[in-house]
This record gives sequence, structure tokens and C-alpha cells, in this order.
Amino acid sequence: MSWNEFIYFAAGSLLFWISGTVALYRLRRSLTGELLIIAGLLLFSSFIALLWDYIGHPPLRTMGETRLWYSLFLVLVGYVTYKRWRYKWLMAYSVLVSSVFIFVNLLKPEIHGTNLMPALQSVWFVPHVTVYILSYAMMGAATIASAITLSSGEKRERELLPLIDNLVHIGFGFLVLGMLMGAVWAKEAWGDYWTWDPKEVWAFITASAYLIYMHAHYTKISRREALWILPVAFILLMITWLGVNYLPAAQGSIHTY
Amino acid sequence: MGGQGKGKQETALVEIIIISAVTIAGLALQFVIGPLDFGILAFPVNLVLGLLLLLLIPFKFPKSIRRFGSGRVSVTLLAIVTLMAIYMGVVPGNDVKHSWPFALIYLMTMVNLALAVGKRVRKFNLKRDHGFMLNHLGLLLLLFSAGPGSGDMQRWFMTVAEGATEWRGERAGVNEPVELPVAISLIDFSMEEYPPKIAIVNKSTGESQPSGKPVFIESTDGNSGIIAGWSIQIDSFIYRPMMAPSAFISAKRVSDGEMISGRVSCGNIFQQFAILDIDDRFCFAMTHPEPQKFSSQVKVYTKEGEERTGIIEVNRPLTIAGWKIYQYSYDTRRGRDSEISVFELVYDPWIILAYIGIGMVMIGSLTLLIKGGKRE
Ligand code: HEM
Repeated sequence: MSWNEFIYFAAGSLLFWISGTVALYRLRRSLTGELLIIAGLLLFSSFIALLWDYIGHPPLRTMGETRLWYSLFLVLVGYVTYKRWRYKWLMAYSVLVSSVFIFVNLLKPEIHGTNLMPALQSVWFVPHVTVYILSYAMMGAATIASAITLSSGEKRERELLPLIDNLVHIGFGFLVLGMLMGAVWAKEAWGDYWTWDPKEVWAFITASAYLIYMHAHYTKISRREALWILPVAFILLMITWLGVNYLPAAQGSIHTY
Repeated sequence: MGGQGKGKQETALVEIIIISAVTIAGLALQFVIGPLDFGILAFPVNLVLGLLLLLLIPFKFPKSIRRFGSGRVSVTLLAIVTLMAIYMGVVPGNDVKHSWPFALIYLMTMVNLALAVGKRVRKFNLKRDHGFMLNHLGLLLLLFSAGPGSGDMQRWFMTVAEGATEWRGERAGVNEPVELPVAISLIDFSMEEYPPKIAIVNKSTGESQPSGKPVFIESTDGNSGIIAGWSIQIDSFIYRPMMAPSAFISAKRVSDGEMISGRVSCGNIFQQFAILDIDDRFCFAMTHPEPQKFSSQVKVYTKEGEERTGIIEVNRPLTIAGWKIYQYSYDTRRGRDSEISVFELVYDPWIILAYIGIGMVMIGSLTLLIKGGKRE
């Protein structure tokens, strides 16, 4: 099974995932939707397995191949989190982001010729980046919810605060996983788990801003006041993700992506 | 939950004042002594420090000490450390991580964690506290091994020629070889490269065409493609040891059928590069091949007589007697014909503790995924 057949598997999986998500929203019982999503996951994994067999090594070498794993993991983790928390929108969100990666793979395959430098060729690469993306999704949702709460009254507050706290804690769980996988990887690749590289500094800043939010109830800061931390933390997160390379302190970072 | 009473507000203020005073004392130390040399934390200093931190866990200290284990104090510490990190992330060329204020806040964070863990240890309830314990005790172990533990860390670079055995290493930037407790004998260095690529280049700017969205064609036998209106065929590609990669290409302009053919090569220290002119502004050229994988087949010895053979490559270090040996570099001018390999040797006796900490926090973060924001 080579990349030429990817389009059939991709289209099939997307069809399963999208109809599954729609079914979750439309039908009273979730079984149909869940079965569709699982069918999509199986179809997509079988492409990876067949491709693996065809090329004779784990498909982790090119950008196109790593995007294959993103697409799978996003939906998989989205589904597992949905099972636990029943957030339908999260399922929809992971399908959406996953389909973006699938479309990139269809339109701009980079299936050969992308030169992954040796240090990036690690089993940690895919999970490290994937859990970060999941964390960003959670934190993004928490930020939106905090903005809604801050601009409305008491009633919304009672309703949304538990949701916000859930999102931040789940998002922080993924954030920590991403950081630690990065640390283990760095140790294997460079001999040091933390070098205060600019991207690492900003990841640290972001994490500690969220930690302040998570520990804020121990101070006399009210829950409503503490919500202001979230938009600030999200800006820091965006700097970590997208902005670091433009900062003067970041010239010569090992994180070029 | 949050301390509302006036008494609590005052204690919070006292704590903030004390923490600020420690930070300022750190600044004073910084001016008097200069940056903190992590070497002073080397064994046995870090061990003693670690034991002292450990003592904070089982024993119930007077209130004046215990208060530094509160969640309130942790927020103050986190706020200060965030500000320091922002300085680190914004101001170029700073050395905050080796500064005294940073080290003292780091120390107080460890104290805070140890006291908080201690409080929960004394009234431990597995169902309620397992997540807290994994996260905070794990983080404490990690902070300890990455901080004071790094005082024992040694890093050396070793350059070994194929067929030779080397005992001597050098520190980064210091040109004084020192005999190390491990030796490396390099059996073979080998390297795989991505194929070089054919491009159309603007001769005066060096920019690959089409401008802004360059297209490249991998230089492999028989490959073909289109760049900026030229249909290009790689007729043959030759890359022998001690030679530069070179390709014979034929190109046809799609619009008018004009043909150009000839040899292009990126050149290296063995041979000159070659380009193929299109006109006086553009030419066909070849990019340098990029490394895909480089590895060293080695035999490693220790002074104690241990021996191990293996292959070391990027992301796959070899471990022997507490040392980890990393593939670091090679003779980049000779590329895959390099006859030497450069290794980095890292000795980090606290690494196991660090991995235990990392493992605990990883499992701890899974509890966050399952429990969410529910208060205990
Ligand atoms: C992996 C990172 C961390 C996570 C996931 C985490 C999470 C938590 C959680 C969930 C609680 C319990 C909150 C509650 O009962 O509602 C807590 C309490 C606490 N945390 Fe953290 N925290 C982390 C890092 C830190 C750090 C870096 C510090 C110190 C600066 C700290 C200090 C404390 C303290 C002192 C308490 C209160 C303990 C008590 O009074 O019983 N934590 N943390």
C-alpha cells in the first residue's frame, strides 16, 4: 500500500469521522456516532500499518509521514477525552484539525524529499508535538470560556467555572506531558533535558502562568479575578508557539519549527 | 480556601516580604560574588542539601517554617519565577539561570514543595492525595536533580579517528585534553545523505527560482520535474567516495523548446562545483546534500575493564558505567567521507532520580486528564 492509495483511506476515514461527529450531535444515543468514529480510526490505522509494511520501516521519517500520525492521534485522543468528559465540541474540534492535516498531506505531500535533520528523527517527535497541540486546543477553549464568563454575570459564572477548571487541568496535563516528552527526547539527542533554549524558556513561562491559575484559590484572589490570568497565559502560549522565533533573545534556538 | 481574614492577609504580606527580601539578598550576592558557579553544588554539597530537603517531609516543624509550604507561598514563588523567566526570554544574552536570585527562588520552591508534600504525607489518603503526591514529589525530585544535581554533571567532547582508540576528552571551549575513565575506539564512521537537489538559481542574488516559492528536483538517476518553465531530466547521477556529487541533466524550455544539457555539481573539498548557465542571469545548480543519518560503530572501554561494542547515532546514545556517549559531529568539510567522529560524553549521576521524577509527573498528569479541575 503506497501513498497513491492514501486518498481513498483518507476520504473514507474523514467520512466516518464527520458523520460520526454529526451523529453524536443529532442522535439521542451516542452508540452510532462512536461506532462510526472507531471505524474511521481503524481504517486510518490500517493505512498506516499497510504503508509501514510497504516501506519496511515505521513511517516516521518524512513530514508527510509524521502528519499521518497527527491526524490519527488527534482523533484518537479527542475520542478518548470525549468518552471521559462528553464534550462533543472537542470531538468536532479534533476531527476538524485532523482533517486539516489530512488535506495538507493530500495537497502538499512532502512524502519524500523533506529532509528531517537527524535530531528530529525520534520516536518522541510525534507524541511531543501532538500532545502540545491538544493542550493548545484545551487552553484555547478555556480562554474563550473565561472571556464569556468575565463579560457576563454571576449565573454564567456558576455554570462555566467548573468547565473552565476542567479544561485548564486537562490542558495542563497535556502541556506537562509535552514538556516532559520533550525533555526525555532532548536528553537522548543532546545530553541535556533542559537547556533554557528560548522555546523552552517560553514553554516554562506558559506553564507557570497556568500553574498560578491552578493554585490561585489558595490566595485571597477571588475566582473571578483569577480568570484574568487565562487570557494572559494564552497570549504567553501563543508567543511560545508562534512568536518565539521573532524575539531578540531567540536567535540561534534549536527549535526552528 | 482563600484566606479572607485580616490575620491571614497580614501573614500573606509577611511571606511576600520575606520572599522579596531573599530575592534582593540574591541580587546583592550577585553583585558581590558574581554568577553562581554550579560546581560548588557538587557532591557532597548537593547530597547534604537533598537530605535537608528530605527532612522537611516527615517531621512537623514549627508554624513559622511550615507556613512556607502553603499554596499561598507557592503562588508568590511562581509569580516571581515567571517574571524572571520573562526577563530570560526577552533580554538577549542574559545569564539569569546562573544568577543568585534565581537560585534562591529555586531553592525556596523546593522547600515549598517538600513542606507541602510533608503536610499531606502526615495525613495521607491514597484516594485523595495520589495525584498531588505524584505531581509535587515528582517535581521536587526533578527540580533537585536538574538543579543541585547538575553540580556533578560532566561533559566532554572526544574526537576519534577511524581505526584509532582515544582516552582523552576536552571541555567545551577549553583546548586541554584530559584523560577520561572511558575510551572509545572508532571502528567505522558512516553517513547517509539525502540526495542533493537541482535548482534554478539567480546568479547575482543566489535566490532559488521561482522566486519566493522555489522548486527543487531530487538529483537521482532518471528523476525529472519542472522548474520555472523548464522541464528537467536527470540523465545520470554520480557520487563516488572522495568526489563531489555530480549530475548530467538535460532541460527543455516548455515555451519554445530550447534545450540545454550539461553537468552540474555542488562541489566539495575534493572537487570544484559546476553550474550550467541558462543566460547571464540564471543557471542550473545543485544544492549540497544534507545529512540524513550519521553513526559510528564503536568499541567502548572503561578503566575498570568493562567493554561494549555498539552503534552510536543521533538520538541513540550508548550508556556505559554511568556515562552516556552521544554522536555529536564529524568532519563536516569531508561530509560522508569523514574519517573522524566527534562524541559528546556526559556523566550525570543523578539522572536516574531525574527520570523517576519525570515518570512520576507523567503519571501525575494522567490523573489531571482523568480528574479534571475537581477540588479534592
Ligand atoms: C506539575 C505541576 C503541578 C501541578 C499539576 C499542581 C497541581 C496542584 C493541585 C491539583 C493542587 C491541589 C489543589 C486543590 O486542592 O484544589 C496543588 C496544591 C499545591 N501545590 Fe501544586 N501543582 C504543580 C506544581 C506546583 C509547584 C511548582 C508548586 C510550588 C511552587 C506547587 C505548590 C503547591 C502547594 C504548596 C499546594 C498546596 C498543598 C496544600 O496546602 O495541601 N505546586 N497543586
